Amino acid sequence: MKALVSPGAARSGVVVLVLIAWEAFARLAGVNKILIAPPSEVLWQIVRIFATSSDVPDFYPHMWVTLWELLVAYAITASLGVLIGALFAGSKLIGDAFEPIVLVLYAIPKVILYPLIVLVLGIGMVPKIVFGVMVGIFVVVFNTAAGLRQVEPMYVGLARSLGYSKGEIFFKVVLPAAAPTILAGLRLGFGYTIIGIITAELLVVNAGLGFLIDWASFNYFTPQLYALIIITLCVGVVGNGLFSVLERRWVR
Amino acid sequence: MPKNHLPLAIRTAFIVLVVLVWDFSVRFGWIDSLFLASPVHTAEKFAATTRIALPHLYATLTAFTVAFVSGVLLAAVAGFAISLSGYSYKVFMPLLVLGVTVPKVTLLPLFVLWFGIEKTTIIVYGALSAFFPMIINVMAASLEVKPNQVVLAKAMGCGKLQTFTKVIFPAMLPVLSSGCFYACNAALMGVFIVELALSRFGMGALVHDLAVTFRTAELYAAVILTAAITVAINMALWYAARHYSRWRA
Repeated sequence: MKALVSPGAARSGVVVLVLIAWEAFARLAGVNKILIAPPSEVLWQIVRIFATSSDVPDFYPHMWVTLWELLVAYAITASLGVLIGALFAGSKLIGDAFEPIVLVLYAIPKVILYPLIVLVLGIGMVPKIVFGVMVGIFVVVFNTAAGLRQVEPMYVGLARSLGYSKGEIFFKVVLPAAAPTILAGLRLGFGYTIIGIITAELLVVNAGLGFLIDWASFNYFTPQLYALIIITLCVGVVGNGLFSVLERRWVR
Repeated sequence: MPKNHLPLAIRTAFIVLVVLVWDFSVRFGWIDSLFLASPVHTAEKFAATTRIALPHLYATLTAFTVAFVSGVLLAAVAGFAISLSGYSYKVFMPLLVLGVTVPKVTLLPLFVLWFGIEKTTIIVYGALSAFFPMIINVMAASLEVKPNQVVLAKAMGCGKLQTFTKVIFPAMLPVLSSGCFYACNAALMGVFIVELALSRFGMGALVHDLAVTFRTAELYAAVILTAAITVAINMALWYAARHYSRWRA
């Protein structure tokens, strides 16, 4: 049986239905306005926040703080994660010696360590960046190591017999073969890094989108709160979308 | 030394080195002992802190269990229902993947608004954290069921229930159990985030109080205790996941 509408269209339909139900519930159910804001009002707030005509103070400076933390943290997560993963895959000895340690560290819910980080590093941007890296790096390490390990030894042998140098083998054979798994790790790592940064900002509030969200909820500015939450969620969605484009272009 | 013990030796040496650097950085005043407790002090306080921590630990583990079980069950039912049709699978899968990747922690102030600074908030947020990784895995697990095998089971006279317990469920089990592993990890993280944010119940509250009152040695002891317990829970699930995937190898 062929479906009447494409899954994509049906998906949009589901989203629109949820929005309509939310709007109707917020307007007609008589719930306290502090608890729920209708989506139309939230959308209006988002427009006003971006136009800096809302009550939200210093939106752009705070957003830059968060984006800057995210960029620095992700640069460290990606480069250090790929490096460690490559070391694990490249040397069996290093892998065997240190991978169990990394696995145990991965199994710790990192957020319980956050008070320690704050104690040692203070409340500025640095502890947030460090925490973002701690949450994001593991999946990059594991995927890089797994991706490099699953490269067919036969390909490497073939390249060697064709007279490729070690560098050529790495860049022309091993890396392209491992790229899908590594990129998937980098994409997941980006998502986790955002989670880390926002968590850190909400737990120790002094700047960034976390500060604004805390400000809105503290003052019961509910529509603004919803708007800021959606803007923050969109940072994750946009980042994820960028990676999907990159993956489609590179992984062939 | 036999070759296969070398990694273990390196690992042990590395851990000893870390503990030594940790100890020296306090002993020689590189870092103020207000911010970093020496391993010796931490070890001294460990037993006493564990005693203080017991009721908090109980609160955390019960909240976690309720959150984890309800999140996983909800995800199992919803995921299975959606996967019954290939069409609804295609409609919902991208939305649910989005649910895993967006930073749900921003919703926390809303949950506090709706459910108050009570245990409900901890459980709801923990369950939500467990829900998304689990439902993705339930739906991925449904792809492991081969239609041919289902037809074969029917042809051999299996009823619906028997087909489910003998063919469908065993095929899904490996991916389901690794889903439980990820859901457990996420639920623990979720429970601790809310406990730290509310600082009223559980280990999160204890750790928060110890940190803001600069009882550093107790703080390190409490964090190490929490880490050890959570690692044990996660590892148990990890081995369970591996155990249930064995038949595939």
